[in-house]
Amino acid sequence: MSATTGRRIALVAAGLVFAVPLLYMIEVSLHAEGHGLSESPLALGGAVHFENYARALERMGDFRRLLFNTVLVTVLSIVGQLACCSLAGFAFARLEFRGRDGLFLLVVATMMLPDHVTAIPRFLLFRWMGAVDTYYPLILPTVLGGAPFFIFLFRQYFLSLPSELSEAARVDGASPLRAYWSVFLPLARPMLATVAIFTFLATWNDFWAPLIYLSSPEKRTLTLALAGFHQTYNTAVEHMMAAATVVVAPCILVYFFTQRVFLRGVRVAATKG
Amino acid sequence: MRSAGSASLGPMFAAASFLTVALMLQPAAAQERTLTALVEDATLVSWPVLEELARDFEARHAGVRVELLSLGGASGTQDKVKFMLAGDLPLDLIRIDVTEAAAFLAEEALLDLQPHFDADVGWDPSSIFSAPLAACRDAEEHLFGLPQTFTPYVMYVNRDLLARTGLAAPGADWTWEDFLALARAGTRDTDGDGRTDEFGISLTQWLQAVVPWVWQNGGELLDAGGTRSRMDEPGFAGALAFLRELLFEERVASFDATFAGQLSQGLFQAGRALFYGPVGYWETYRFQHIDAFAWDVLPLPRGERAATSVAMGIYVVPRTAREPELAYAFLREVLCGMRYQQLMAEIGNGVPGLVAAARSESFLANPAAPPSVEVFLDVMDDARFMPPLANWRKIESLCQAELEGVLLTGATSAAAGARAMAAKTDAFLGRERARHGRRRLPSGAMALALSVSLLALGAVFLARRGPAPPAARAREERHAYGMITLWALGFVAFLFGPAVVSLVLSLCEWSPLRPFGDMGFVGGANYARLASDPTFHASLSATAAYAALAVPAGLVVALALALLLRSPSTLAGIVRTACYVPAILSPVIVAAVWRFVFDADDGLINRQLRAFGAAGVAWLREPNAVVPAFALMAVWGIGAQMLVFLAALQAIDPALEEAARVDGAGPWRRFWHVILPALTPVVLFNLVTGTIAAFQVFAQPYVMTQGGPGDASRFLVLYLYESGFRHLDMGYASAIAWVLFVILGVLSLTLLASARHWVHYAGRARG
Repeated sequence: MSATTGRRIALVAAGLVFAVPLLYMIEVSLHAEGHGLSESPLALGGAVHFENYARALERMGDFRRLLFNTVLVTVLSIVGQLACCSLAGFAFARLEFRGRDGLFLLVVATMMLPDHVTAIPRFLLFRWMGAVDTYYPLILPTVLGGAPFFIFLFRQYFLSLPSELSEAARVDGASPLRAYWSVFLPLARPMLATVAIFTFLATWNDFWAPLIYLSSPEKRTLTLALAGFHQTYNTAVEHMMAAATVVVAPCILVYFFTQRVFLRGVRVAATKG
Repeated sequence: MRSAGSASLGPMFAAASFLTVALMLQPAAAQERTLTALVEDATLVSWPVLEELARDFEARHAGVRVELLSLGGASGTQDKVKFMLAGDLPLDLIRIDVTEAAAFLAEEALLDLQPHFDADVGWDPSSIFSAPLAACRDAEEHLFGLPQTFTPYVMYVNRDLLARTGLAAPGADWTWEDFLALARAGTRDTDGDGRTDEFGISLTQWLQAVVPWVWQNGGELLDAGGTRSRMDEPGFAGALAFLRELLFEERVASFDATFAGQLSQGLFQAGRALFYGPVGYWETYRFQHIDAFAWDVLPLPRGERAATSVAMGIYVVPRTAREPELAYAFLREVLCGMRYQQLMAEIGNGVPGLVAAARSESFLANPAAPPSVEVFLDVMDDARFMPPLANWRKIESLCQAELEGVLLTGATSAAAGARAMAAKTDAFLGRERARHGRRRLPSGAMALALSVSLLALGAVFLARRGPAPPAARAREERHAYGMITLWALGFVAFLFGPAVVSLVLSLCEWSPLRPFGDMGFVGGANYARLASDPTFHASLSATAAYAALAVPAGLVVALALALLLRSPSTLAGIVRTACYVPAILSPVIVAAVWRFVFDADDGLINRQLRAFGAAGVAWLREPNAVVPAFALMAVWGIGAQMLVFLAALQAIDPALEEAARVDGAGPWRRFWHVILPALTPVVLFNLVTGTIAAFQVFAQPYVMTQGGPGDASRFLVLYLYESGFRHLDMGYASAIAWVLFVILGVLSLTLLASARHWVHYAGRARG
């Protein structure tokens, strides 16, 4: 089963092409301040400027605070997302109830609604709840509602499990909720992990909701602090790229250590789609 | 049975405790008198000083707390203010761009500060620069705000390159002829390869930077009342023709800083342009690190007369302010006080509005500033602001799209471009006039629409759900309803409810600067406008072109990668990671990185192309290249689709392929007859999700092109966003959203319906 040389070359080429923009980002982050894209440190005699990272972190504000905020919002979002989507996905997949197919159609239809349509009414709702400049607007939509796509994924996964499981649970006299909690949820670990990682990425990278809802400087998240680098009159490309590298790094690390879980989850979505 | 009952409470407890934790994140209760100001971004170096000044202010005013909110980054600054005003949040002081003031005034969103100024014995109008102050007066000459900093547009000059031309340095009253002679002398092919290496001028070309040339040439944008355009007159077209000549005939000019943000280092900074402009003070911040050559600033050359335009940020008090007196005091004592204004000068924000601060060392002897920094003050005699029109932003964006055809791509002649700008502007102004005389939407209408639609939803559900299940199934159904409760609540609160509101909004006229209750009913007028809006048509076809390129290209590349990565190996693992990582990055970061990849001068792609002797492509400036460029970027991010294909490939029964091989089928036939049919379900999946994503592309054009050149990348969601938040037309934006929703619905259903003809479900019925 050894790959042919041609295939290997193609693999390496593809990998390089996809990696280049990110390597470029890291390269630019090491340029001398104020010299933009020219004078690459990789050129002969060029100096590497690691101090850009220190300057970039310093300019973002209290970095540990930013990190804490981002992690807090991310973790709560993950918990909310998992609870909401796995419950709904299980019900849609394994339980009989009136109106099921119609309601599931609603779940799918909401995937087509652009976020900006609902932005203002949502804002007014949170305003009415007194929740502007809190983390509610960032977290609550994941607990209530969840992402329709993840409900879809959970449904597909639960559908893929053998039907004997439900029968066995029913014969034991277990309630559907009990069956969900002690039979199906443990079996759904790969899917829980997948949704957790997807949610991590979505929340970690989200810019729009923090921008609109958070105003107190001490409540900012990392992406929001990063956006401050767009200020026209004080943008230094190198600092911007250094900050971007710092914000991106955890995403890459998380993916790197969880690839297997990732692939397993995607496999379910793919093969049961 | 008992244990079953208690176990089933587990997830409920989990949800409840989760909500409790979330509830603990509530904000602290406010004190008695709180001044809330949204005037600066917390990432700015001046933030700590502002906080310190706020504490001083608190010390001077007993019982007062100053709450400083962060604007949160330039790209979204103005939108945030609008959200907060629409949400009726108590903001006492905000900073806006002066070109937005008229829109705020038209929506009655600003407080008249004149009574406060009249009552203030310490107020001396001459302490603020007169033209900037005049721009803070409404139609009745009442002051509604004060300047933060401003900057006239000037010309930057590379002194070393100037000396090399051997021509006399220009004086303060240099003319277009002097300028042209210098620009010609400064244009050189230094290495003799037939390509210009040094340009006479790196020319800026957004409307505010082009207008000075028009004014210098005796032209005007609009008539005095702002009711008709004057862009088809000779003064206007003549100025465009002059600039076009510099670019495409004399070839002494090159473009720079075309797109908002200007992250890319330009020709001037690289020492390859004699002049750079017209542009404002903010560039000194970028240029302070230049040590390779000496640079300075000059007034703009004069045409028939001297003229320049001004950019300015102003502090205003929203009508909804709860503490207008404190806001006024904070404005006068802190924001327009000596210390903070000097600081604004020191950090390179602009010319302080306070005369004393601009005349102080902070501005005149700032080490970051050019030697002739006083030019910024001297040219103010000839400086003008943009027309104070409520819908100026929209006119600006209509003109910008045409302007790019004349100056950026050169596809349009100056005269034709000027005529098109005039026609578009007049058509727009005409439509605006026709819109007046709106009926107010009755106050209960929105609530009524919401409750009726919720009841209707409930009724449909009850009517369609069929007969009750047998008793044995009743518990299962109860549990099922319980399990989907979290989803259902969120669906109603965050999706269905807001969608109904936006549907009603699409029948209304409402600016986010107004309180939510105050909207005008226009019926189907927004949809009728869409049908006759050329920008919308351009947006629709750009989006369709993007989807038609990005979706199939993405599918092919994702599938090819998946086939390559199919047999597991260490190398495949590494390559898989490299290919997937782009898909997990924030679109904002992706866009920021790709701007450098696509940069026409120094970008990664063009540098490689040039290394191989090919001409570079101005990726983001060519109308024909910009959509393929975005599609290329989208292909970079197809990691998720690749993983889906990979998973499906690995699920194919190896026996099937083996059988084909035994039958003598080559790799291509095996792919075509065995692999591809087995993959059709995931092709459908990727096709539908990819199409939905392609039609909703937003962050990339928002960060990279702002819709340009022309309307070439003004994709639907970007246009939706601009209409709602930049042009303050939420009704129109909602109408676009609903059209988009319908388009996506029709496309998805068509794709799903077509599945019957080409998707193979191995061994199981479609259920």
